Amino acid sequence: MHNVTDNSPNTSIDSTVLDNEPSIRIRDLDFLYGENQVLHNVDLDIFPKEIMAFIGPSGCGKSTLLRCLNRMNDLVDGARIGNGTIEIQGIDLHDKSVDVIELRKKVGMVFQKSNPFPKSIYQNVAYGLQIQGIKSKRVIDEKVEESLRKSALWDEVKDRLNENAYGLSGGQQQRLCIARTLAVEPEIILMDEPCSALDPVATGRVEELILGLKEEYTIVVVTHNMQQAGRISDRTAFFYLGKLIECDQTKKIFLNPNKQQTEDYISGKFG
Amino acid sequence: MLVDTKQVTELMSDHKNKEVNPFSPKLSREKVQENLMFGLFRGMTYFVLFCAAFLFWDILSKGANKIFEGDGLINWEFLTEHPQTLHVIGEGDEEIKLSSSNYYKLKDEKILAKWNLFAKSPGFTSNLSDLDNEMIELQKEWTEKSLQFTNAEFLKKERDKIYNKFAFWSDLLTDINASARDFEVEPQEIPGLVSEFILGHFEKERSRLPLVETKIILFRAQQYSNIEEPSLNTLKEIEKAYNAFLIEIPETYNQAIKDFGNEVSLTYEDFTLLRGPKEFGRFAEALVAYETIRRAFLDIETKNWNSIKELIIPFKQAMSVSLPSRDYAYSGGGIFPAIIGTLLLVLGAMTIAIILGVFCAIFLAEYGKPGKFLSLIRLAILNLAGVPSIIYGLFGFGLFVIFLDWNVSLLAGWFTLAFMVLPIVITASEESLRSIPQGFREGSLALGATKWIMIKTSVLPFAMPGILTSSILGVARAAGETAPIMFTAAYAKRSELPWEGLEHWTDFFFQGVMALPYHIYVVSAKIPQNEYTSDMQYGTAFVFLFLVIGVASLSMLLRNRLRKKYRW
Repeated sequence: MHNVTDNSPNTSIDSTVLDNEPSIRIRDLDFLYGENQVLHNVDLDIFPKEIMAFIGPSGCGKSTLLRCLNRMNDLVDGARIGNGTIEIQGIDLHDKSVDVIELRKKVGMVFQKSNPFPKSIYQNVAYGLQIQGIKSKRVIDEKVEESLRKSALWDEVKDRLNENAYGLSGGQQQRLCIARTLAVEPEIILMDEPCSALDPVATGRVEELILGLKEEYTIVVVTHNMQQAGRISDRTAFFYLGKLIECDQTKKIFLNPNKQQTEDYISGKFG
Repeated sequence: MLVDTKQVTELMSDHKNKEVNPFSPKLSREKVQENLMFGLFRGMTYFVLFCAAFLFWDILSKGANKIFEGDGLINWEFLTEHPQTLHVIGEGDEEIKLSSSNYYKLKDEKILAKWNLFAKSPGFTSNLSDLDNEMIELQKEWTEKSLQFTNAEFLKKERDKIYNKFAFWSDLLTDINASARDFEVEPQEIPGLVSEFILGHFEKERSRLPLVETKIILFRAQQYSNIEEPSLNTLKEIEKAYNAFLIEIPETYNQAIKDFGNEVSLTYEDFTLLRGPKEFGRFAEALVAYETIRRAFLDIETKNWNSIKELIIPFKQAMSVSLPSRDYAYSGGGIFPAIIGTLLLVLGAMTIAIILGVFCAIFLAEYGKPGKFLSLIRLAILNLAGVPSIIYGLFGFGLFVIFLDWNVSLLAGWFTLAFMVLPIVITASEESLRSIPQGFREGSLALGATKWIMIKTSVLPFAMPGILTSSILGVARAAGETAPIMFTAAYAKRSELPWEGLEHWTDFFFQGVMALPYHIYVVSAKIPQNEYTSDMQYGTAFVFLFLVIGVASLSMLLRNRLRKKYRW
């Protein structure tokens, strides 16, 4: 068995989840926006088919780290890695041989604010396939249905696939965004506060969906909602001021954290 | 007493109320100010509204005179005809207004009627045969004369005349210094002066003897190098050559007479007067040619000529109809070519401006990294928006018309107008690209789209309504400006429509057109004003207004459809 503990001091291992080689391996990561360093020396492993939750107060760098994982930060002017590496399946993301387009197909992303395109529901899901040059209507149709089924949306929208996606409710829109991501067959799905704009019922449905997706995908969720982290994640990482304070089994983090800062945050003393 | 008590109670309660109610009105400085400012804002707004309403009312009411003139509901002639001179016949109640084409049609009809009347008159046949006989006589006489003509007086007289000239020129060249004193020039300039004299003489000869024009030109061309810097020797050579040339002249005349004889008999044989004035026109042409040749013979007179002239008089009279009219330039006909021209200019210019502008805006909004370079570009674009339109006109004239040698053409106008509206289009397109939620971009990129695919599929389509809105502003400006097109694309008057008379399809782009704003300028400022020009101006303005409204509503319709399709 691979011994991770040596390399990642903040992680204690539960063998049932972590039998494998880590899917994402982050080492000594420093990240800067211009001169402003937002991540300090982060070490973290994320394993296949687990749900990892990032928690922490606003501005602690959890979203930045998430966006590093499929290089969405490339879009931000002056954003750069100061030091350290991110490896996915053993390959350094910033290696010259990595095509960011291919990377983003493998590492899908769902955003905080649901952002379906102002097109029909069908076209939204088909978009990722169409831009890959897939023309066959049959293939696309199948994939659209499959993705919508996986995201538990099929029964609700199957009769109005050609209606504008903005006619859906907020929760449905977010699930549509997940379906859109699933259609391009990613292995890892990043979710940046996917439920922050949803009411409790819609949140419940999305959470249910995320739990279901765990069977097939590695999922990283950033959330402000600690109950949500508790409900859905296998492991939780707590960030504070750009540093990874603690990362452990979710149960342990919530019931018996190692660090005082974690406990203070969990118990609501700040944040 | 009871009343008093009541009053007192009321007063008291009043007093009490005043004391109790803290919200009772008080007149304060702020209140006066408030009312004053409110009145001012309202007054200004109403004033602006009034001005706008007056402007529209003025154009619409005066323009309606022209648009709804005449029998039908709408004066279609004004919308479908070329601009023409207005001919007004008669006075008062019997006044008839006709555009040029109708005026000449009427005149032709009158001539035909008069001619037909004359052709049926009893004197007609005898007149005709008299003329016939005289013509045959004349032809015979001239043919005889031409046989004797080779060495006639003509030659001698011409030689005498030219001899004096040549003597004068030789004198000038013999004593250059004396000549220089006489003419108050430097001695070395004398040959050039003589050269000018010689050329001037030949120029005069050319207009005096139209029939031998080509011969003279030929002669000059042969001697040209010698004439440039004449010396005494070259002068002699020229004199010799000219003498030889003079001998050829009678030959030329003889040939012309023979040709003419053939021509007249041909025309005359074919000639059946009942066919009408057009046929007679050919006959008249022949007569004119006859007279020209007679003049070429100078004072050599023929005995028949005067009798022929008299015989022609009834025929000429039968063809002349006087239809007196008062003529007003540009006040008749319509503005069809100007409507077409403006439409073409606007469509072309907007196509170019939108393509250039959108590409530029995409670069600025999506690719450009914020920094000095980008701010510099933005500053330049903002400044461009403030440049007066006449400067664009000069720029287009210098670059497209002169330097690229496109002449006054649609293409030059398109590019000039496009550059003028470009700042509007770029600024608004950039604005509208930036207003697309960042989420669409991220969503697209996160699904593995390249930047261009992202722009193509999830930014540009949604930004299109905004871009079209900006283009509506551009349309109004491009259609309305006079200055940029007056040097580059607009003609004051052009009879052909843009698709008429093209030799090759590319010629379409290299032709000038009429345009509504320039037409308004021409009828307002470039022609003598009269009672009809005002109608023309306001009629054109009326149509122009509705054309711009029409084009703008079309783009608005398109925009609204797109908006409905992509709403979020």
